[in-house]
Amino acid sequence: MSGGGTGSLAALRQACDGFLGRHGLGVALFVGLAVFFWAIVLIVLPQLVMLDYSFRHNLPAAAMGGPDDVRTLTHYRYFLFGGSGSGGGLNRLDIGVLANTLIAAVAVTLINLALCYPVAFVLAHSASGVAARLMVLGLILPFWVNEILRAFAFRVLFGTTGLINGFGLSLGLWEQPIDFVRADVALYAGLTYAYVLLMVFPIYNAVEALDRNQIEAARDMGAAWWRVHWRIVLPVAKPGIASGATMVFMLSAGALAAPQILGGPSSLWFTQLIHQWFNDAGNWPRGAAYAVILMTVCLGFVVLLMRVFRVSIGAIGR
Amino acid sequence: MSAAAGGGRLFAATTSLVFFGFLFGPLVIMVITAFNSSSFPRVIPWECFTTDWFSVLLADNRLMRGLVTSAGIGIGVVALSVPLGLAGALALTEIGPRLRSALYTLLITPILIPGVVLGISTVVFWRNLGRSMGADYGSFFFNGFFLTVAGQVTFVSAYAMLIFSARLQRFDQSLTEAALDLGATPGQAFRRILLPFLKPAIASAAFLTLLASFENYNTTVFTILSGNTFTTALASKVRYGTDPSLSALAVVIIGITLIGAMTYEAYTRRREAALTGRIRRSTFYAHPLVRLLTHPAAVGGLLLGLAALAVWQGSRHDSSVCVAGVLEEKRALQERLLEEQRQRLRDATPATPAPATAAPASPSAFGDAFRPGTLAPGGLAPAAPAAPAAPAPPSPSTFRDAFQPGTLAPQLPVPRAPDPQAPDQPPP
Repeated sequence: MSGGGTGSLAALRQACDGFLGRHGLGVALFVGLAVFFWAIVLIVLPQLVMLDYSFRHNLPAAAMGGPDDVRTLTHYRYFLFGGSGSGGGLNRLDIGVLANTLIAAVAVTLINLALCYPVAFVLAHSASGVAARLMVLGLILPFWVNEILRAFAFRVLFGTTGLINGFGLSLGLWEQPIDFVRADVALYAGLTYAYVLLMVFPIYNAVEALDRNQIEAARDMGAAWWRVHWRIVLPVAKPGIASGATMVFMLSAGALAAPQILGGPSSLWFTQLIHQWFNDAGNWPRGAAYAVILMTVCLGFVVLLMRVFRVSIGAIGR
Repeated sequence: MSAAAGGGRLFAATTSLVFFGFLFGPLVIMVITAFNSSSFPRVIPWECFTTDWFSVLLADNRLMRGLVTSAGIGIGVVALSVPLGLAGALALTEIGPRLRSALYTLLITPILIPGVVLGISTVVFWRNLGRSMGADYGSFFFNGFFLTVAGQVTFVSAYAMLIFSARLQRFDQSLTEAALDLGATPGQAFRRILLPFLKPAIASAAFLTLLASFENYNTTVFTILSGNTFTTALASKVRYGTDPSLSALAVVIIGITLIGAMTYEAYTRRREAALTGRIRRSTFYAHPLVRLLTHPAAVGGLLLGLAALAVWQGSRHDSSVCVAGVLEEKRALQERLLEEQRQRLRDATPATPAPATAAPASPSAFGDAFRPGTLAPGGLAPAAPAAPAAPAPPSPSTFRDAFQPGTLAPQLPVPRAPDPQAPDQPPP
């Protein structure tokens, strides 16, 4: 343990020396201070303070730091077992919302994967020159439009008087307007749309590195197309898929705008619960506790899946 | 082999078509709804071509104030997160592999952490810090602007770092070594060698961070406290009532995006052509007019001019006549319905009104009431249990219609409809 500590300290000193020699004191100071500020003040400390805050009672500002300001598990207990009036059973409502959020996020990730893998493959290996450039441009352009407006577009499309219902009714495909919002179709479509880019580019980056001759060779030896993908393309694409899937999953589990705008009246996203504790109920410690729960569960889920599929977290964002 | 290749090409074409249909379809629909005078954003039924929603958009003070706030926050975020991202990327290139993966994981997690969590932790942290320092509520620890910048920088810097890392991977370290060997101080080498190499990355990082800051909702909605940025104002507008001025906003954003993208495309093409020497060799590019027209500034200027022309034309377009016509049409429709209903009531007076219960059986009646095809007597009536006191054979179900919500509802706009349009109405 201490050996590892001194080893990493020595490595750090070595890195500093190399840095100083190459870029000079000013740059080394800047880099050191900036990374320290970012990593400690902006990332680590706020998370720790939030974690601590989630163990506090919801006190008025005057009582903070006073004798009543002790640590408590009450917010986590509330999440698991509900308020005192619920009779000691599990808090089915909130746990159910969390489970639903996770399931929906997994579903969105899978839909996104099914949608983006072929496109990434086509982009990397079938399109060339102008077509490839146009495709990349076409991929990026929609994401310059605000996230809220993209969700709004889906509401225009899927509403009871929206275009799809209009077409379906006038063609006689269905008699009554279908409530796509209530059925969460709009939400799934909107979330899938929102994170397409985050899925396509990691897969594209991974698949592009594949030597085309390998595919040709497999074809020449009589492999069917699905076999080519399963045995040759997928193993190469795996880090990209892991990276894209992780980001899509985390972002859709943590999405707030799309569920608020596109979610049906009966479905609630866990982030909406957090938002409610903060803004409507004014119970900040409980909101912080729910935020900690969301983050822990999501990160735990991702790390577990990465273990299962044997991918390292360093692959993300590459 | 060729069959397989043909199949592959067909597959590629179909996939791309479906995918880009999904990507662009909603945007196209939204753009179309911006020009429909219907007060709910929709394509069908089409009422009138109008540009009024743009003026409605400009008159929205909350959005416009949010725009100013967002611009300020964006500048602050760019000014902080580009240096932070650069520092992170530089640190990652220099330290050993074990430390590097730990630092990389730490710095990349803000992208993965839900934005909601980031927002809450930022607010709580600075608030506690301010309180422990005895700062009062007017200080920056409790200022939404400052908190939003702090919260956004946390994860936006990671985007900048990814861009710088990608660029740094292609940097040839021996260039710096050579400069040092030739007697440059390390600081000079950094300023004269590495920074110029990173210049394109700095530009794209600044652009991307600005966009990310502007777009962000999840973190900002917590950190802005009682204030509003453009995106949070937009979100509350979408949540609490929609009108096509939002589509008009989308038209503006898409227009700016397209102009920017085309100008950038012209720029890259020209640079590629210059790099490969095609400009000098090709007679096409040698022509001065072509050279002028393919210059990115000319392309951008031309597009901006076209956009300005479109705005000018749009501002002159007056759809009030058409809107009044549509209103008039609706009113006439309602009068006719009303008349029919009175007629039916008169016919049916002997039979006492029992079947009012039939009304809820057709929930869609309200939505269909505006469509002319459904207005035929009995068109709205479901096959409900026959009323005991059914009137005479010519119109068996007319009586039931009188109690349908759909037939009564269109009355609502009638008294109010002519008022706003009255000054605009042309003499018949």
